[in-house]
Amino acid sequence: MSITQTGQPQVTVARRSWGDEEVFHREMETIFRHSWQYVAHESEIPEPGDYVVRKMGRDPVIVVRDENGDVRVHLNTCRHRGVPLCRADSGNTSHFRCSYHGWTYANTGELRGVTYQADVYGKGGLDKKTLPLFSPAQVDSELGLIFATWDPEAPTLREYLGDILWYLESIIGKHPEGMEVVGTPVRNIVRANWKTEGENLSGDGYHTTVTHASAFDLGLFATTKDLVKLADEVAPKFTGRTVTTPEGHSMRVQRLPLKGLKGNHYFGYPKDMWPAFDERLSPPQQDLMSCLSVGHGSVFPNMSFIENFKTNVDGPDLHARYFRITVRYPIDATTSEQLWFFLVPKGADPEWARLSRLAYLRTNGPSGLFEIDDTENFVGISEASVGDVSRNLPIVLEGGKHHPDASAELGWPGHVVEGDKTERTIRNFHRRWAEIVDLESAEAGTR
Amino acid sequence: MSAEVVGSRSEVRRPRLGDAILVSEISQFLAYESELLDDRRWHEWMDIVADDFTYQVPTPRTPDSPFKPHYDDRSLLIDESKWSMSTQWFRRFDADIYETAWGENPPVRFRHLVTNVRVRLTDDPDVYEVRSNVALVGTRQSDPPKYITGERTDRIVRRDGELVLARRWVVLDQVVIDFPQLRILL
Repeated sequence: MSITQTGQPQVTVARRSWGDEEVFHREMETIFRHSWQYVAHESEIPEPGDYVVRKMGRDPVIVVRDENGDVRVHLNTCRHRGVPLCRADSGNTSHFRCSYHGWTYANTGELRGVTYQADVYGKGGLDKKTLPLFSPAQVDSELGLIFATWDPEAPTLREYLGDILWYLESIIGKHPEGMEVVGTPVRNIVRANWKTEGENLSGDGYHTTVTHASAFDLGLFATTKDLVKLADEVAPKFTGRTVTTPEGHSMRVQRLPLKGLKGNHYFGYPKDMWPAFDERLSPPQQDLMSCLSVGHGSVFPNMSFIENFKTNVDGPDLHARYFRITVRYPIDATTSEQLWFFLVPKGADPEWARLSRLAYLRTNGPSGLFEIDDTENFVGISEASVGDVSRNLPIVLEGGKHHPDASAELGWPGHVVEGDKTERTIRNFHRRWAEIVDLESAEAGTR
Repeated sequence: MSAEVVGSRSEVRRPRLGDAILVSEISQFLAYESELLDDRRWHEWMDIVADDFTYQVPTPRTPDSPFKPHYDDRSLLIDESKWSMSTQWFRRFDADIYETAWGENPPVRFRHLVTNVRVRLTDDPDVYEVRSNVALVGTRQSDPPKYITGERTDRIVRRDGELVLARRWVVLDQVVIDFPQLRILL
């Protein structure tokens, strides 16, 4: 996987990673069988019986709050003949009944009813206790984010999230009552490999000025004209840092180039929300969130998050911040399904929440102009990865290797490096990806 | 929810629908509006749109009951105004910007097919609630065409004798949307 000729890239990935079905199947067996995966937000299922249907890899799962208030995750398939139990995207039920022969399960997953049991299986011929719904080995949540894994040997969710949790706490935990998902997530098909958008969101600050050049022209990035109204002094350049963790998670933190401000400034939120942030965030977390332009990252393998300050979203000087979570389900090597979750702080002022929604939808929402420009690149990567020559060619991922380490002085967890335009978060994803997928031994084993 | 059992009388009153001349005028207006969109004649399109125009598309979903809507209006897929469309959508096609409007250059080719136009009269003789079915075909580069269908509810108003589009609300039929891009004016 690495090319070590003098002057050649030292870390690279073969392009077939984004288009080859064999690599894809290996990913399904390794990454999606063992990783913790984001399935839902607790606010989507507030009441007992509330459920949503999601996927872990290519397997549909039901995420349900049982009658005791505990969150359960079940494979959406009857133990009898495999028919899906839920055919709707969401709903509320104390029991799931199969449409084929009527086997019925409590929302805890226990098999409660087998129709004509004595007739069909004889007395004592079938022990219902041995036939609960198949469920992931571990289910847990942090900050309202529900994750699950099939691997009983996987570390705990807290261990798995590692240092990225501190950053998610800064974003979500700064709100006294947490955040909630607004409505049903949008779902769409992307003609691209499941990894490409996550690689970008892992911390690619390098693409912004080119891919999103038109957004600068349209005023959706804070320009000097906007910034002079926020502070007395404006520095010439935005600055940024990236964070990486051994588990393959990462984040990019870009700051507004403002100087001479006293105290913390959480631009894009109503000012009456700021004191609560100061109270809830530690000084290094305040340093992270104050004057934040954009903070985005990826949780390995397929979830990404972004908190973003957007200017002029519904007219001049109407600025707002939004928070979005996306997740990508693999379908095949060049096709994925993306889910889009827009979240707001619980109890947020409705007029601000409307502006936040517009800031999201018009830029990084499914119909937003950033997104359609980005998607062309993601689709293009998969299109260009399936040629017989191109599939084995390398890419270049060397950006940011010379950037200075900032971990020690900042007090932020993880490996923090100065530099906004970098490829180190993508290298970090692929380092972890290669460790898990281990293509070389897989291929050696089949020879 | 107004499904009728044969032989029984529905409780729901039939709406007051426009006469043939009005329906013809409004159908012609909608066909002309589609022509402007498909030809990307944005400036002419904005001339037939009210200044307070809004365009919203709620999120499609599969509900757990036939008595619930197959969309969720708490979350939106698209939420635009005339201002946002002129400054953030159509502006991208201007000569000084289009070269970096990557998602729309080369442009996806769109074709609107608008049918089943129903003109509901309102208490204001100059305001019509117009429902229609829309199919949008989108073709990106050399890819096979994709289509998406839905039902529009438009508010069309007569100002100084001319029809203008004041509001558009579109309920989609696809839950997992498979279309070249989602920046679409249905």
